[in-house]
Amino acid sequence: MSIEVVSGNHAAGYALSVAGEANRGARGASCGIYPITPQTEIVEYVASFPFHKSRVVPVESEHSAMAVSIGASLAGARAFTASSSNGIAYMVENIMVAGYYRLPIVMVAVNRTLGPPWNIWADQGDTLMLRDFPWIQFYCESNQEVLDTTLLAFRLAEDHRILLPALVAMDAFIVSHTQAETVLPDQPTVDRYLPELDLPHRLRHEDPKTLGGLVWPEVAMSLRQEIDEAMGRVDEVLAECRTAFVDVFDRDPGGAVETLGTEDAEIVIIASSSIATTVREIVKQRRRAGEKIGLVKIKMFRPFPEQALREACRTARKVAILDRNYAAGVGGVFWQETKAAFQGHRDDLLVQNYLTGLCGGDVTPAMVEEIIADVIARSAETKPVWMATQ
Amino acid sequence: MPTLEGVPPIPCTEECLLRPGNTNCGGCGMGVGLTMLGRALAEAGDTCTLAIPACCGIVTAGAFPTTSYGVPTVATTFASAAAVAAGIATIRDLNEERGQVICWAGDGGTYDIGIATLSAAAERNENIIYICYDNEIYGNTGGQRSSATPPGARTTTTPGGKSEDKKDIMAIMAAHQIPYAATLSIAHPEDFARKLRTAFSISGTRFLLMHSPCPTGWKSEPADSVELVRLAVASGLFSLYEVWNGRAWRINVEPDWTDPMEYFKRQRRFRDGEIDLQATERASRDRFQRLEVLAREFPYKTKEG
Amino acid sequence: MLELAKNTMVEIRIHGRGGQGGVTLAKLIATSRFLQGQSVQAFGLYAAERSGAPIQAFCRYADDTIHNRNLIYEPDHVIVLDPTLVGPGITGGLKPGGWILINTPASPDTFQEQFSSNRLATVDATSIARRNKLGTRTVPIVNTALAGAAVRMLEFNLEEMQAAIEHLGFTGPNLAAAKEAYDQLRTSEPAELQAVTRSKSVSSTGLYHADEERGPSFVEGAGGGLPGIETGLWATEQPHRQQFIPPCNHVCPAGNDVQGFLQALANDDVDNALAVIVRTSPFPSICGRVCPAPCMASCNRVELDGAVNVRQLERYAGDHGRATVEPLNERDEHVAVVGSGPAGLTAAYHLARLGYYVTIYEQGWEIGGLLRTGIPGYRLPADVLDREIGRILSLGVDVEFGEPIDRNRMLELAQSHDAVLVATGLQELQALRLGVGDAEAVEQGIDFLDRSHRGEVRVDGEHVVVVGGGNTAMDAARSALRLGATSSRVIYRRTRREMPAIEEEIEEALEEGVVIDFLIQPITLQLNERDASNEGRHRVVCRHMELGEPDESGRRRPVEMAGSDFEIGCDRVILALGQSPDLSVFPEGTEVRQDQKLLGLLETPVYAIGDFATRDGTVAGAIGSGRRSAFHIHNTLNDIDVPATRQNESSGNVEVWRDEVIQSESLKLHLFERRLPSKGVAVPPEARRATFDEIHAGLTDPREAKRCLSCGVCNECDLCVTFCPEGVLKRVGHDLVFDYPHCKGCGICVTECPRNVVFMSHL
Repeated sequence: MSIEVVSGNHAAGYALSVAGEANRGARGASCGIYPITPQTEIVEYVASFPFHKSRVVPVESEHSAMAVSIGASLAGARAFTASSSNGIAYMVENIMVAGYYRLPIVMVAVNRTLGPPWNIWADQGDTLMLRDFPWIQFYCESNQEVLDTTLLAFRLAEDHRILLPALVAMDAFIVSHTQAETVLPDQPTVDRYLPELDLPHRLRHEDPKTLGGLVWPEVAMSLRQEIDEAMGRVDEVLAECRTAFVDVFDRDPGGAVETLGTEDAEIVIIASSSIATTVREIVKQRRRAGEKIGLVKIKMFRPFPEQALREACRTARKVAILDRNYAAGVGGVFWQETKAAFQGHRDDLLVQNYLTGLCGGDVTPAMVEEIIADVIARSAETKPVWMATQ
Repeated sequence: MPTLEGVPPIPCTEECLLRPGNTNCGGCGMGVGLTMLGRALAEAGDTCTLAIPACCGIVTAGAFPTTSYGVPTVATTFASAAAVAAGIATIRDLNEERGQVICWAGDGGTYDIGIATLSAAAERNENIIYICYDNEIYGNTGGQRSSATPPGARTTTTPGGKSEDKKDIMAIMAAHQIPYAATLSIAHPEDFARKLRTAFSISGTRFLLMHSPCPTGWKSEPADSVELVRLAVASGLFSLYEVWNGRAWRINVEPDWTDPMEYFKRQRRFRDGEIDLQATERASRDRFQRLEVLAREFPYKTKEG
Repeated sequence: MLELAKNTMVEIRIHGRGGQGGVTLAKLIATSRFLQGQSVQAFGLYAAERSGAPIQAFCRYADDTIHNRNLIYEPDHVIVLDPTLVGPGITGGLKPGGWILINTPASPDTFQEQFSSNRLATVDATSIARRNKLGTRTVPIVNTALAGAAVRMLEFNLEEMQAAIEHLGFTGPNLAAAKEAYDQLRTSEPAELQAVTRSKSVSSTGLYHADEERGPSFVEGAGGGLPGIETGLWATEQPHRQQFIPPCNHVCPAGNDVQGFLQALANDDVDNALAVIVRTSPFPSICGRVCPAPCMASCNRVELDGAVNVRQLERYAGDHGRATVEPLNERDEHVAVVGSGPAGLTAAYHLARLGYYVTIYEQGWEIGGLLRTGIPGYRLPADVLDREIGRILSLGVDVEFGEPIDRNRMLELAQSHDAVLVATGLQELQALRLGVGDAEAVEQGIDFLDRSHRGEVRVDGEHVVVVGGGNTAMDAARSALRLGATSSRVIYRRTRREMPAIEEEIEEALEEGVVIDFLIQPITLQLNERDASNEGRHRVVCRHMELGEPDESGRRRPVEMAGSDFEIGCDRVILALGQSPDLSVFPEGTEVRQDQKLLGLLETPVYAIGDFATRDGTVAGAIGSGRRSAFHIHNTLNDIDVPATRQNESSGNVEVWRDEVIQSESLKLHLFERRLPSKGVAVPPEARRATFDEIHAGLTDPREAKRCLSCGVCNECDLCVTFCPEGVLKRVGHDLVFDYPHCKGCGICVTECPRNVVFMSHL
């Protein structure tokens, strides 16, 4: 184990590589890779990693990058890839396939604005576009969290109770290209954490079957329901994976949500990714000043942690939700989901959406203060508030 | 889950590749091709995994959880067959396992939507066999034009007959300098089987183009399927040849230049007056002449010389 | 007019097959109602329909706007596009009293018992569609015809439906089909439309139903189940195996299974080839040398690239194969065979194999008859003859030599045996009056050949003239060269086309230097011994002939040309003009009949066989006659009926035997590669005319047999299996096994069978 100053991309590339290497005693690892700013460093790292039983396949498109990973996964290997923005949009068809085929592929996504016009900076719109797919989704705020969550995601995804792909997202540049001290666990430790992959439905000559042909409505619906049940087990399995992670690495990778001061908070700020970092510092300051304010960081977006959110906001009167994303004609995606989670449970709660830092804008402490002031002053919800970038 | 590592793959038997009770139309050329493939694998003591993009080939499997395929089979997205197969083949090779990884794709998935993926896989020389069963139409969607549709053919999207020529996919694949590219006709079963044997014995990307009669799309008698593609070879409309490494050519069957009308008139996708017979014959002879030049100037030399 | 539709919704379910146009039929009915101002819907159940697969389509119409997007579970009426779909499934949910319209040539009454609570209507829409050229032969599109039938059934006007047909852009033949069906609809009603328990509604979707509450799962390993679709239900036709009579078998005078032994040779199984031949003929090595081979003249391969060289292949089998023949059982009856030529020997062979005690009575001191004395050694070496006769004698046949049979001896034989066969051949030689009676210079060909065989004649330096056009003429002319003749000349009164001699023999004679003059008739012989010239001691006066009208033999009769006389110099004239039987051995009034007991005074079954009875003149004909008679005796003595006529030995499960000779038009000759026949190796003419050694070395291998087309008889080429798109046609041993529950009836096996062994029959 060593502590190095590396970028978020480096941390992600490292995590994917050591995870792949950890399957060398089983059927090995593979991934299709394709460059796109700002994730290119991840696949560059993977391509240069000295695997013992792996092949990195440099393909011609994101669509094929996921396709190669699907093939490798179907053949029983540990498979992964990384992408961003329009690359994800181009990959969408096969991202969906990985989910419906119940393949435990892990993808690191660097959240970048979808074009046009072209903008390479942070925005969660690319991965939130996948919100209705059968993928587990994590949003991370730091290099370390990216690394830890990526390792955890493999263990979670490959658990036979789950068998769903997982996505680990980070903000473009703010995390992906920011160098910071990061613990890089050594291979033997990672080996201890990640058991060899045994994909129960992998392709076998001894037991030939056809995956993905025609399916009648009843059966298709039943397969969907099965996914829903697997999603329902994520909380429980995630908790086990988190405990095991602490055991092996002596470090908490975090859970579905993280709370600060919510035990008595009247005002709760909900945020994700690096925005949560900014909000956390302000909430700490204000609580030290005696204000009953709290933070809920949503790390796991799929399955959506409704129960944990309601629990965290038990004492709250008002909630401000900061979204670095925008669903056209509606507003922030985290806001919609949270609002739905409260529906019928906390109809008294004032839930206000703030659209912040879209398309790479910096969400400054001043902006957060402004939002807190606004929500405190509010007596009613309005449409989402567009927070102008300074 | 019991592990079966180390157990050799069960050899494909001709019964097991395409099972009876599949949902092909009667007289489907693809069905003939699949049974011939199954037989060739069985004779070679080999087996395969199939990666099939959207096409009749995957519909043939029938409804999950049943399947007409007796080998591991995966449906890929329309453009992804070669990439998914590359992933499967990668892991097979990492684990030093036997069995071919075969893409079984229609012309739409090959000539059109899948060509980038196929091209990239060929450029990387992925260790896969790619078989395109070319029925010159989007058959599974009811018969729309593809870039493999021959001139003059009526489809639902070329109601007056297609005006453009058929894309020369073999030239494209040969230009990738892959180890082996060959054309197949189900009407020439021995040639068909020999080329499959050749393909099985080589590593790297192997591309096989099979002329695949489609009674539904071609509006022909199901019973005429084999005879039609036989006529296509005889009249020079479809040539049987092989290309090694994009550098050595061999012609397998000399056409006897049967009147192509024999071929056209048995298919209601062709109408009188919508085929320029002279142009067709000229194009066939030109195409064959170019092949002859290649085969003469850059001949494939067998080990025997 | 619209009692059915008044203020109420009418729902119709259509059962059909992919490609028949069921959804369009729904749309046609709907459109016809729409054009009359009603609210309508037409829809199909969409999955991945394949041509021939059972499908359902629906239509509903009502006076008021329809607000219903559900499937139809309880239709008012049902239409069945394909009679093979008729079954309990079609009435699922059908309202009592509702119509069932079936596309079938059958009468509606046929179905009344099966569907007792419904009204029935039938029309032969398939024939109507085929007549109007709608769709393909195997998938006729019957929808417009049934649309015509449906409006009649629903009591609407034909014009309304024709308007709908035109509205949807269909043209002439469709309108005609609708009208024909409208006119031809037949209906039937149940005796009383009693209250009936409605049959339980079956799933109208045909969708998969999981047995358990939860369906199959990828992650639990599902996806490898066997398909449960009986695609045989899609078929309207099914393939079956048949067998025809190949022309070679049909014409073989010996009754050999020619196709059978050729196929054995094609499979490199020479022993089996011989076994096939010796079932009928004990003389493959002999026939393989001297048979005129009518099988080759009738061979369908002539149309492609030349007949299969059956003669040489039979010789190959006889010379190279090994076969053991044994009596099949032991019997007490004793049969006498008079004469040891090919007919007598063949009869003895078959009778001995059947277990009879056989004695051959031969007037001379050698066995073989004309085989030995009439066929020169260069065509038929003595060791070949001895070998094949030896095989017959090995069955325990006795021979009495020096036994000339006269009328008295014949009566004795008839009394002391259970049956007698007379196979004495043609003893009466046809003479030609040349005006000099028994001049030494004139000799019968048969006698000449016999003397030659015994080494009793030389013709050194002579000019020999042979009269005749048969094999004896050729043999005599060719033997004369070998016996030292300076010239050997055949004169024949017709043309080469009419010559009865084997074509190859004529060719070889010409090669060796025999001269053949056609359209010449000898008139007189002028003895001219003192005036010897270079052209010989005598002169034959000849006359030119021309061909006139055909005679009773079918050949054109030669007619003398007046004033065309000329002379040919010669030393010797050999007559080879034909022979006739000597009937003097039988009591007066005896009538000789082919393949039947003699009619006459003898009580014992006595048969005349071979040339004696048939005057056929060929070894093969003699073999056939001998065999037929042997079986005839067997049947008569045992009062049974074992067929003596050739039976195609077939391996495998032939379903339909066609008593019909298959001709080349019924074969797919274009599927065969052209390959010229193998002729075998012959000694050069210069070398062979000096010797009586055999002139042909025969074939060096049996590959020529692979050219056999196996007309109308499965030879297990397995192209049908190779081309079956479903893998539902398999070869199991010698059988062709069709998996009918899965065969879709595409007919490729029929199209691709080069020899017409598979045919389709309508279901």
